[in-house]
Amino acid sequence: MSAVLEIKDVSVTLKRGGKSVTILDQFNLSIAPGEMMGLVGESGSGKTIAALAIMRLLPPGAQIQGQILLNGEDLAKADEARMRAVRGKGVGMVFQNPLAALNPSRTVAAQIGEAWRVHQGGGKAQARAKALELLGEVGIPNPDTRLDDYPHQFSGGMRQRVMIAMALACSPKLLIADEPTTGLDPLIARQIMELIARLRRERDMAVLFVTHDLSVVQEHAESIHVLYAGRSVEWGGANAFFAHPRHPYSEALLGSVARLGQARLQNIPGNLPEPESRPAGCRFAPRCAYAQEACSSAYPPAHGHGGTQAACLYPLPLSGKLVYAEPLAPKPTRRFLPLLDVQNLTVRYPGAGGWFGGATKLPPSLNDITLTLGRGECLGVVGESGSGKSTFGRAVLQMIGYEGHVLLDGQDFHATAGQAKRDLRRKIQVVFQDPRESMNPRMTIGEVIAEPIRLKGRVSGAYVRARVQELLGQVGLNPEMAARYPGGVSGGQAQRIAIARALAAEPELIVLDEPTSALDVSTQAMLLNLLKDLAFRNAFSYILISHDFAVVSYMADRIAVLNAGRIVELNETAALISSPQHAYTAALIAAAPQLQPHLGQTQSA
Amino acid sequence: MSEALAMSPTRSLGQRLSGNYTLTFGLVLGALILVSGFVAPFIYPVDPFTIHPAHALEAPSAAFPFGTDELGRDALALLLSGGYATLVVALPAAVLAFVIGIAYGFISGLGPAWLDKLLMRLLDVFLALPSLIVLLFFAALVPQSNINLILLLGLISWPSLARLVRNEVLAQRGRDFMLAAQQSGASRAYLARVHLIRVIAPILVVNGTFMIGDSILTVSALSFLGLGVQPPQESWGSLLESALDIAALDPWWLILPPGLLVFGSLLAASLTGQGLLRLWGNGR
Repeated sequence: MSAVLEIKDVSVTLKRGGKSVTILDQFNLSIAPGEMMGLVGESGSGKTIAALAIMRLLPPGAQIQGQILLNGEDLAKADEARMRAVRGKGVGMVFQNPLAALNPSRTVAAQIGEAWRVHQGGGKAQARAKALELLGEVGIPNPDTRLDDYPHQFSGGMRQRVMIAMALACSPKLLIADEPTTGLDPLIARQIMELIARLRRERDMAVLFVTHDLSVVQEHAESIHVLYAGRSVEWGGANAFFAHPRHPYSEALLGSVARLGQARLQNIPGNLPEPESRPAGCRFAPRCAYAQEACSSAYPPAHGHGGTQAACLYPLPLSGKLVYAEPLAPKPTRRFLPLLDVQNLTVRYPGAGGWFGGATKLPPSLNDITLTLGRGECLGVVGESGSGKSTFGRAVLQMIGYEGHVLLDGQDFHATAGQAKRDLRRKIQVVFQDPRESMNPRMTIGEVIAEPIRLKGRVSGAYVRARVQELLGQVGLNPEMAARYPGGVSGGQAQRIAIARALAAEPELIVLDEPTSALDVSTQAMLLNLLKDLAFRNAFSYILISHDFAVVSYMADRIAVLNAGRIVELNETAALISSPQHAYTAALIAAAPQLQPHLGQTQSA
Repeated sequence: MSEALAMSPTRSLGQRLSGNYTLTFGLVLGALILVSGFVAPFIYPVDPFTIHPAHALEAPSAAFPFGTDELGRDALALLLSGGYATLVVALPAAVLAFVIGIAYGFISGLGPAWLDKLLMRLLDVFLALPSLIVLLFFAALVPQSNINLILLLGLISWPSLARLVRNEVLAQRGRDFMLAAQQSGASRAYLARVHLIRVIAPILVVNGTFMIGDSILTVSALSFLGLGVQPPQESWGSLLESALDIAALDPWWLILPPGLLVFGSLLAASLTGQGLLRLWGNGR
């Protein structure tokens, strides 16, 4: 079998602060024509560097060792002129953020046509015809009317389709897709994945699919390759992998993916090691539940007894029970005392308008929302972007103006003012999506957490310090971290700090606005478990805003589904998932990426 | 974790400067110019106003290291006292403009929308006027003194900084950490004092250095036109002007040094600013 792409013993080193750091180590991979392979790993695993190495698009100062054979030609030794010919023609690439990858000042026809003409020659009319054909092929409605549109005139999903059309312009035999659906709404993401799967079948094109999302791999890929800390840990057939993961890391990773109605997510203790301080021997050993002494002596050789190869001395038995196959336990219905009362909440953003003449009228972002939230309850709010779910959170937080009433403990925000309002507002805290954005980069972590305490009233410095230490301990961080700056901590740690800051204000309600969607799955699992434990201990309430149905269902007692500013459905979590009453809810649930615990039901559709 | 250490702000000044030649050169040049203006008159204690008629317009020699002017005054002593006269006006004027610009920018950026609109339209009016011409107009109007000159310069050179600060405040005030602080009960004054100043500080410092350079240039230009530092005191601008009056005699030792010092001040300010920008990344 001749592979389209064969990577042999590739190592990539980057320059970091004057030192050479090996990011990817002894990487081997082979893709057959028409095969779809998922390259999976968490951030820092080296998966993106691997994809960039194939295209030779590494940052300056990077060194590649080993062989990257594309149809037998070694790309690791090709010169830049040759690489320009390969990119686009031999290998197409689709990036995560299509808006950044497309030229905003040129029409899509010009950009797709250019991708074709650079390699095939041909006239402008031909290029335009080709662009029209490709836009039709990637499923852009009425492509003939959209040829002369600019990238910003397309929605996120349509833009990604344009990107794919560009990548396909010269009919490459291999497509590298680097997180092509990250940042898209679930419904749109699903369509893009189906498009890539269809194009692969029609064109018999190999696809190397770089992702952190295991459920997408399970649904679409034939083979899988899992990286951890720059080394391959397990690779082989996707069905065999999902049925019987052999490497402990694979098992742990699968166990930390949130699924609808799951009882408890699995935690992977510890953190991913920095490239400079990777342990000798198996890199997962310090975090591995099955690790023995021999694991830390040398990197283990691959074992290939099942359908996959696992680089582990003690691979899991083939007869093992699937960690993610535990039965879905319906949550017991709880009763709550009322805490938050939202009455006829409506938010209108002003349209564009000048000094003179009225502002343009926009439809309200949030339309007549009425609901109550209990003390200790977690309310999930789901919807696509633009549904108004973040607006709802911001209105409850009093960050934006609104019509209607929001009452906390029976006190109406509109009826209070000044210090009383500030004190009432402090009882509702917030955790944002991007933990780095939510902290002043020039404040120490201690100052960040101390801020709500100091703002609350005059307290001694010693008290503040003691409280900060206590809060850091509560969120599972080392109290010595207080002296450091947020720039030097990982995303998961930063989000814990943001939670500690919210706790510092002694809130009754915390609004979690996509708190885990910027994080890796294992980090996400740890944070969700932490939030659950904190709510259990402190009896405060959450409003959890997310586009991820699985995450919301894991946390929430009740779920509100928002569409176009209105609640289309609000029900107990178990009831909402098992029997959605509204068609939109059903569509969202169907689009939620899901690991399927039952082997054999997966098809590469 | 070594990455975290590398980013920590606890590295010594030497470590921060190493490799940043732009900043090192800018700082050294700036220090030399400051020393020449404020300290050198004590090291080279020659009265710049003593006239040596027998030695008028002499090229540099052992007795007069930088030569003499057409009245027979020591050119080096003139240059040093001219530097003092220039800096003693330019530096306070830059500080005044700096303070006004920051205050205006913060009020406009943090205040209610109507106030922001009003202050920005006012700023447009200021920016629309050609500042040198306005400056000349008022400089001719008010009595000549250093204080008046400082006030005039300071009151005229702040608008561009004010706009920059206001835009930066607007960009920063919607960031999540500002919202989180407000959620905990932070007032606008607290946001400005604790959060904004810290995140904008690099931009302020960098633009402050640029403003010093601009201020030196403006004082020199005014003096060159006869409206700046007044006789008998000389400044770089007036020295250049009187040297150019007798340019036909080619007194290069009178023309080059004041010109080079003005140029050097601008260069020092610009390099320091650019070096700081590089030190702090893109300023965030």
